[in-house]
Amino acid sequence: MALYFFTPFIAIILTILGGGIIFYILGFNPIEALKFYFITPISNLYGFSELLLKATPLCLIAIGLSFCFKSNNWNIGAEGQLTFGAIVGGGVALLFYNQEGFYILPLVIIAGAIGGMIFALIPAILKTYFNTNEILVSLMLVYVSKLLLDYLVVGPWSNPEGFNFPETRQFSDSSRMPLLFEGLRIHAGIFLALAAVMLSWFVLYKTYLGFQIKVSGLSLKTAKYAGFKGKTMILVVFMISGACAGLAGVGEITGPIGQLHRMISPDYGFTAIIVAFLGRLNPFGIIFASLVVALTYLGAETAQIFLQIPKYTGQVFQGMILFFLLASDYLLFFKVKILNLKKNELRH
Amino acid sequence: MATDLRISNISKIYPGCIANDNVSLQFKSGKIYALLGENGAGKSTLVKILSGVVSPDNGEVFLNEKNLKLSSPLDAKKNKIGMVFQHFNLFETLSVFENLSIDATEDNESLRVRVNEILKKYNFSIDLDVPVLNLSAGQKQKVEIIRCLLRSPKVLIMDEPTSVLTEQETEELFISLKKFCDEGILIIYITHKLKEVLSLCDEVAVMRKGKVVSVSQTQNERVETLANKMVGQKLAKIKKKINISKNKDEIFKVKHLNFYSDDPFETNLVNLNFSVKKGECLGIAGISGNGQNELFQILSGEIITPDTSIIFRNKEIAKLNPKQRREYLMAFSPEDRISQAAVPELKIYENVALNNFKSSNFFEKGLVNEKKIKEHSKKILSDFSVNTDNVELKSQFLSGGNLQKLILGRELITAPELLICYNPTWGLDVGAINYIHETLIKINDQEKSTILISTDTEELLKLSDRIAVIYKGKLSKIMPSEEVTPEKLGVLMGGGSID
Repeated sequence: MALYFFTPFIAIILTILGGGIIFYILGFNPIEALKFYFITPISNLYGFSELLLKATPLCLIAIGLSFCFKSNNWNIGAEGQLTFGAIVGGGVALLFYNQEGFYILPLVIIAGAIGGMIFALIPAILKTYFNTNEILVSLMLVYVSKLLLDYLVVGPWSNPEGFNFPETRQFSDSSRMPLLFEGLRIHAGIFLALAAVMLSWFVLYKTYLGFQIKVSGLSLKTAKYAGFKGKTMILVVFMISGACAGLAGVGEITGPIGQLHRMISPDYGFTAIIVAFLGRLNPFGIIFASLVVALTYLGAETAQIFLQIPKYTGQVFQGMILFFLLASDYLLFFKVKILNLKKNELRH
Repeated sequence: MATDLRISNISKIYPGCIANDNVSLQFKSGKIYALLGENGAGKSTLVKILSGVVSPDNGEVFLNEKNLKLSSPLDAKKNKIGMVFQHFNLFETLSVFENLSIDATEDNESLRVRVNEILKKYNFSIDLDVPVLNLSAGQKQKVEIIRCLLRSPKVLIMDEPTSVLTEQETEELFISLKKFCDEGILIIYITHKLKEVLSLCDEVAVMRKGKVVSVSQTQNERVETLANKMVGQKLAKIKKKINISKNKDEIFKVKHLNFYSDDPFETNLVNLNFSVKKGECLGIAGISGNGQNELFQILSGEIITPDTSIIFRNKEIAKLNPKQRREYLMAFSPEDRISQAAVPELKIYENVALNNFKSSNFFEKGLVNEKKIKEHSKKILSDFSVNTDNVELKSQFLSGGNLQKLILGRELITAPELLICYNPTWGLDVGAINYIHETLIKINDQEKSTILISTDTEELLKLSDRIAVIYKGKLSKIMPSEEVTPEKLGVLMGGGSID
């Protein structure tokens, strides 16, 4: 059991070692390169604020996903739910683009959450009533929502004074998340993420819904035998998950971005899957995991500047984390036996 | 060349159970041999030893007087022992030919030539290039057989091969098996179906409780004599006193229970009708895989079948789910303790909360009332003498017997009017079995009813007031248990009929 929570650390250490080897092969001093990657980005206050800024959506989405994953529902489409939430929330923000008022931001946030929820309901309803595979449906819907966003920012919602750039108007200040500190980009969205952590802990461990999620995740046969309403539960966990992703989307566009354009998320919705598993689907584990994974985003940017390597190395690191996590889980819970087989023995 | 397979003094002991007790048998090619026995008689263990999956604690296997060392399935293959398991080992999405070529050692052209020869020789009609998932169960089995034939086996072992086949496919299989036999392949046929033994096999070995109890020529046997050997003379029935007067109320009544499944590994149920009286134990006997799983799930509400009528205490409950049925004071104890009735990863009190009936107040306004659940769990642990008082313990640390006590306790502490249990003592030691039997008898003494679905004939004869047998999804007539003899049960369980 202790090992279960320990393997994420093993995975992180192995990822850093693996990264060092890759840097060495590329011809860099591995120690120096790793320092640029993991230390430099957070060595000042601004960097630390950027870390929290990137960890916020990751944490929010991963919390939502943990509801799905714990109950054996494989929602892979958080990126789509994030995008659709941003579209709905952004739509509301655009309605009020020339108005001021304290009520605007809450409306935008709620609209975003509802947008994500509705988008997550599509795979959930198809799964419960038409027996489709939620992995495929939710994944495909990611591309639907991205293309929809593309259409909107190029077409009907594009900024009339924007010289045909694929982007909308800037939101009014009343639609923007309040900044926490002067000069830093970290915004009030972080409180949404923290609230989600607390709330999810309460729901998962203290309510009947949480109990049903836990039992269904461990044994669907038992859930059926106990008479849990399986369909309702599937709908509920997808709604929670979609709402969280929608919130993350709205947090991005009302926070650092301030308008809608094509690139509102560097695949936060997909990366959050890694965060959820690295955090062991545990609310507090997810906080930790979101910080670690956020650092790979920042490190990639610093590395691009100082080492002239593409920032997509961030994805290499994220991939390695997941790979090493799965590998260490596998090797911990299984016994490896090396067989000495000669090919010829199979022949007769 | 003649083949001679000899098993000498094989023993295999598992913790708490002797699976094979000094088994010696001899097989010669040119004959089809049947290995017959109830569930748990030791057939499967013996077959696993022959196919190298399990190593025996003692004893030896000789093929043509050569002592075989079978420490892995690979060894069995090398020694030309082929095996077709009940559940197929095929890649559903690959084509038939791809499945066959996976462990082949020749190039694809010559393999295709050889496969086509086999298809022609035995009149198998299988398209080699369709994905396996499009095949019927019978065709899949033929693919498995072809896979064995490609290695030109000396011994071919078939484990319950007809359980997923239609009548037509069964006939085809028998024709092929007889052909193989004529060609000098030694065939060992594992089954519990008596009629198949008589129509197909030349010699039959009967196993019971890990021992070979008889070896004989099938021409000297009848369904009844085989049944008797298989089930055994169950002496000294410690039967409970039968306290059912004929005019007691019917508390539970099932009408027109039909179930159809697309899954060939599930059994269809055909028009079951029965009722249970107050204070009565209705036993449902049968070899496993004859529809008991499906029946249990329909009675518990996990599967809802249309057009079925289930009346419980004068109310129609056929459309209710298990939780709703519990509200009407039904209780269920499934066969599968560790992945259905309880979850090993959950703590004891969490497993208790699975039986969340309305008056329990385990969950108030959607919140977990941990204190209440724990109090309730403590009471179950002490009332049903589970050997721990720590409700925080994970259930995986309970022994099978204690886990079953916990489950029965959880189901019974609500004082249900009807308990439906399925193999309640499966895999338990004698002490736990006795405790559970006493508990079940006590329920009947308190005028509560039970339905006991079991594959253990001894248990059924001991506990039931009336007994019916389920065979291939059909229920025999229901007999008062004083009229039932082990022999009768054996005949019905093996698919025979009695007058």
